[in-house]
Amino acid sequence: MGSTADPSVKEEGRRDDAGRQGGGAQADVWEVFRQEKDGDPMRHAGNIRAPDAELATHYARELYSRRQESVRLWVVPRGAIRDLSDPDLLQPPLDRSFKKPGGYVMRDKLDAARRRVSREGSG
Amino acid sequence: MTATPAERRVTRASAVPDVPAFDTAGLDAPVREALAELLLTMADDEFVLGFWDSEWTGIAPMLEEDVAFSSLAQDELGHARVLYEMLAQLTGGDADAIAFGRPVDGYRHCRLLDHPRTDWAFSVARRWLYDTADAVRLGALRRSSFAPLAEVVAKIRREETYHLMHMDVWLRRLAGGGEEPRRRLEDALAKLWPDALSPFAPLAGEHALLEAGILGQPMAELAERHLAQATATLAGLGIALAGGRVTGSPPSTVDGRDRAVPAESFRWLWNEFTMVHRSEEGATW
Repeated sequence: MGSTADPSVKEEGRRDDAGRQGGGAQADVWEVFRQEKDGDPMRHAGNIRAPDAELATHYARELYSRRQESVRLWVVPRGAIRDLSDPDLLQPPLDRSFKKPGGYVMRDKLDAARRRVSREGSG
Repeated sequence: MTATPAERRVTRASAVPDVPAFDTAGLDAPVREALAELLLTMADDEFVLGFWDSEWTGIAPMLEEDVAFSSLAQDELGHARVLYEMLAQLTGGDADAIAFGRPVDGYRHCRLLDHPRTDWAFSVARRWLYDTADAVRLGALRRSSFAPLAEVVAKIRREETYHLMHMDVWLRRLAGGGEEPRRRLEDALAKLWPDALSPFAPLAGEHALLEAGILGQPMAELAERHLAQATATLAGLGIALAGGRVTGSPPSTVDGRDRAVPAESFRWLWNEFTMVHRSEEGATW
């Protein structure tokens, strides 16, 4: 289209993907949480790589609110997160239906209470 | 389909809600002319830097920085858009025509922006020099007697706060990042330093702007302030720009860009950013 490569630009600015990964490999991963509007809970938005906390906040801003889609961000180093996924702790094998409210038969008691209330109200 | 200028203005006015409608009846001709000159130089600075830095899209040092730097570049195009729009309202012109329709030697950006992208350290150094200079210039306009400009400048300054933070991080990272980044940064600063004060090249109508209270301080005074702040920051990083290698040379002409003929690199950039506009003159996109 009539354009030629800028003769005065040295090609050193160009990097291939390997070069870019090299820079990123020194970076830590940060988990980002965002609040969409005031009063909403903080929800996990995704993660970014950044070499320090300052750039992590900048990159969080760029990736999760540059189009004004958040009112608050939390940026957490992944290493600071305590991961718990042990099935013995989270999904124990024995039946524990007795721990759920569904284990109590409430329906009949509720029906009786409603009948009593409506009787008293009309009487 | 070509819209008449009147139709186009209606569409565009709604597309740029940040430009307040204003009446120029209270401005006499010399003030109006000087204001137009100020708006054009500022808009061209933002526009040209925005295009230079968008050259990093896809090739910045890491993906997150790629997004960040591209976003900063887009912000500058956004600032240019507001300023061109204001200029168009002032002069009865069309913002697109001003932005894309001028010949290559019709642009008024400062000499600092007449360098190509070069390497990452160079782009960081240039943007740091420009952003810190621009902050000083915007500061001199925030209490402008021309209320629509003060209003727009207040919004631009809020965005520039983040730009300054980001460039400050990168300046410090490169300065303390080991032998090669440090050397590249110093080389870039040395190359750019003679142009560091060019954003403050005096304007032909500067006196009228000062008298009308549109511009708070003379450009020469702003240049001094910027020079003091920039050298203090660099000295804090152990970068001595004195010693003959780097000096603040005052701008010598009053055309706002301190250079009669654009550098070859700007001709290339102009060719790039006007390509679509030139492909179908007068088209409504």
